[in-house]
Amino acid sequence: MTTRKSAYPYWFVLPAAVVFTVLFLAPTVASFWFSLTRWDLFTTQFIGLENYRQFFREPFLIQGLVNTVIYAVLTSGTKTVLGLLLAVLLTSGLWGQGLLRTVIFFPVLVSTIGVGITFSVLMHPTRGLINVALAAVGIHGPGWLTDPALALYSIVFVDLWKGIGLATVIYIAGLASISPDYYEAARIDGATRTQMFFRVTVPLVRPATVTVVTLSLIGGLRSFDLIWAMTRGGPGFSSDVLASVIYKQYQAGFYGLSTAGNVILFLLIGLIVLPLTAWFNRKEVDL
Amino acid sequence: MSRRQLYTGIAALAACGVIFVLPFIFIFITAAKTKQDAATLRFSWPVEWQLWQNFVEVVQTRNYMLLLAYFNSTVITVAAVTLLVLFGAMVGYVLQRRPSRWNTVIYGCVLAGLMIPPAIVPTIWVLQLLGLFKTLSGMVLIQVAYGLGFTVLLFRSFIATIPRDLDEAAIIDGAKPFQIFFRVILPLLKPVTVTVIVVQSIAIFNDFTNPLYYLPGRENVTVQLTLYNFQGQFQTQFNLLFMNILLVTIPPLIVFIFFNRQIVAGMTAGAVKG
Amino acid sequence: MTSVVLESVRKSFGSLEIMKGVDLTVEPGEFCVFVGPSGCGKSTLLRIISGLETTTSGQVFIDGKDVTDAEPSERGIAMVFQSYALYPHLTVAENIGFGLSLAKRPKAEIAERVKQTADVLQLSHLLDRKPKALSGGQRQRVAIGRAIIRNPKVFLFDEPLSNLDASLRSQMRIELTELHAKLGATMIYVTHDQVEAMTMADKIVVLNGGQIEQVGTPMTLYNNPASPFVAGFIGSPKMNLFDGEIAARENCRTYGIRPEHIALSSTEGKWQGKVRHIERLGADTVVYLDVPELQTLVVRTDGDRPVKIGETQFASPLTGKEHRFS
Repeated sequence: MTTRKSAYPYWFVLPAAVVFTVLFLAPTVASFWFSLTRWDLFTTQFIGLENYRQFFREPFLIQGLVNTVIYAVLTSGTKTVLGLLLAVLLTSGLWGQGLLRTVIFFPVLVSTIGVGITFSVLMHPTRGLINVALAAVGIHGPGWLTDPALALYSIVFVDLWKGIGLATVIYIAGLASISPDYYEAARIDGATRTQMFFRVTVPLVRPATVTVVTLSLIGGLRSFDLIWAMTRGGPGFSSDVLASVIYKQYQAGFYGLSTAGNVILFLLIGLIVLPLTAWFNRKEVDL
Repeated sequence: MSRRQLYTGIAALAACGVIFVLPFIFIFITAAKTKQDAATLRFSWPVEWQLWQNFVEVVQTRNYMLLLAYFNSTVITVAAVTLLVLFGAMVGYVLQRRPSRWNTVIYGCVLAGLMIPPAIVPTIWVLQLLGLFKTLSGMVLIQVAYGLGFTVLLFRSFIATIPRDLDEAAIIDGAKPFQIFFRVILPLLKPVTVTVIVVQSIAIFNDFTNPLYYLPGRENVTVQLTLYNFQGQFQTQFNLLFMNILLVTIPPLIVFIFFNRQIVAGMTAGAVKG
Repeated sequence: MTSVVLESVRKSFGSLEIMKGVDLTVEPGEFCVFVGPSGCGKSTLLRIISGLETTTSGQVFIDGKDVTDAEPSERGIAMVFQSYALYPHLTVAENIGFGLSLAKRPKAEIAERVKQTADVLQLSHLLDRKPKALSGGQRQRVAIGRAIIRNPKVFLFDEPLSNLDASLRSQMRIELTELHAKLGATMIYVTHDQVEAMTMADKIVVLNGGQIEQVGTPMTLYNNPASPFVAGFIGSPKMNLFDGEIAARENCRTYGIRPEHIALSSTEGKWQGKVRHIERLGADTVVYLDVPELQTLVVRTDGDRPVKIGETQFASPLTGKEHRFS
């Protein structure tokens, strides 16, 4: 039997594979090795797990790890719930809902640095618009970005401001795929609006939910731009996350430590997202 | 439309107006103010309109650095997107059309690309080995490597909607593989190509982290880096800072106005099974 | 057993009038079929009865009560959708018991009633399966089960058989008719298929363009169609209908004769024509004759009748079977 040449040759994959392997896969594999060294790009000195021990010893490094998880869970959780609610609202036939969708979605496309700078200014403790407006109704606004206890959460708010539109738009697409028959059958069965939401909408919008949760978790864990633009991880280390720690260690020349941070981030994402994806797939439903 | 839908709509629009539109209005009016006026950070109409003057001053800063930045960002974006479309379509094509054991590997790589955070310092090390560190070409290749996952996904699912009959008719006509791809398939990929171009252009144009790591230095600044760096430059000149933000916001705005549908389609791809 | 009465029901969507004034009574326990071509309004009428659509004017009475403004769940109806609307994330048992669990009935009660319903429809062995693991006929029975468990006064069926293949369809027709006999409930059934209408209905309502053309038993509609539209709709192959000169000669606006009511002879008859096309179905043969004054005449005759294309044949209408519409 002669093997005919396929019309879909493997070499089509070659250019992409080369770029991807050299500039992504290889460094990722190499990072495991380099994280076990003290490194300055030219000389390497094997030091075993010392970098990792440092990560779990130094308070500011631990803080970064903890903040990363808090940040990711808060942004992802809010986007998942609020995104769906907004999507339901924006598909209910409101006056001007097309305009509303546009307004909510536009921030997704704007430069993160630009958003970060703008909100830093708006959040200025005395002259910023937010506290000025609050003062007008007699509330003394806190130092959103200057109070170590608040800084991270203020950035979470800005992240939500910028990103909720994407979650909403994904949910809107998911809602559109639910056949009206399901709602009509529920209506005949006497379902209330709440029952329809929890027992028809939520189960049937699952594919969109999976996408939103996964994308926002990964994005949240890797978040860097916004934090760097607004606080650079400060005040002190109160708003540091893994990504900013990685950069700071890089800037300081501790390449091995920085790479260890990369590996930890990698493992963190894997540990959180993979079981989650497996759990979702197990409950998968063929619509 | 019921009364409740009308009132809820107006209320929602008002709330969203305050939350989502106000910041942009603030950017615009501050960008039009004089230095002293802007320093107050008030939400007020400019005492004196200096939109054009601020624009000129920002552009001229540090020897027209903004123009250089725009040039660099454009070059990177155009080059990267072109390669992404080409490579991504080719991989998506083979992935969808040719069932083989390699497909699981490719899928794995796609998912890895979407999930795994790039290992920064090792990547710098590789770039240095290749002599591509701090170069535009290096940046372009990085953007291609990082953007391939999502791009392949989009192309693959779109190609699934093109019937195989077309390939087979071309084979019967004696077409060679790259002819089938370039002359039959690629033209039919216009809708998804537009989506990929639009979505990836915005992402690459707005990218801050990667140029920060891989393009340090003055010669190869990008737009986002310039905006970040000018924070120090414009410490006391909020009007110029916000003019800079305004200028950075405009290109995606233009793309959004013309390609709204494609952007939304690209970003919801995969959200609904199909 | 419940009656359904519609009085002067009109329905408009914006400026488009879909239902143009419908008056109808469905007797208690009747199997009533709404039939008509696409867009005639039969589904709209069903949805108005169900409460999923409101009337623009007119009233709907179920069991003597005015339900025109009542919610679907308050009307004592149950509906079987064309797509079945089975929740893919629920098992068969959960789908059937869905309405009861919405009403927060105790678990034991739900389980008992689901079991009873499943027994009636022979679904007992499928209770733990999800819809995607069921065949088309099984899914349909689950949809019917979800309707039965509500103990409705009126069952509404919206083209339930159109998603099934032909052989399954004829089997399900029998099952539905037997179900009707067993439950004795009032059933309103919408279809575009006149075979379903003829075989299943106690009473057929023929709709066209938002208005009722005729109401009657299947045989009444077959033997005494009130209009050329009904005449052409009921019966297969379609009745031969002619206007113009031939109708004028017969003193009417439209003249009709069914293919099965024409006698074929090779020697003599009222009309003479040349055989243009023959369809042999086994038990019957359908012959298409080119008759000068009639153009094409369709004739149904015995399966083994010797007839060839191009031959000259004579056709005569059976007495008493001609239709003259004014």
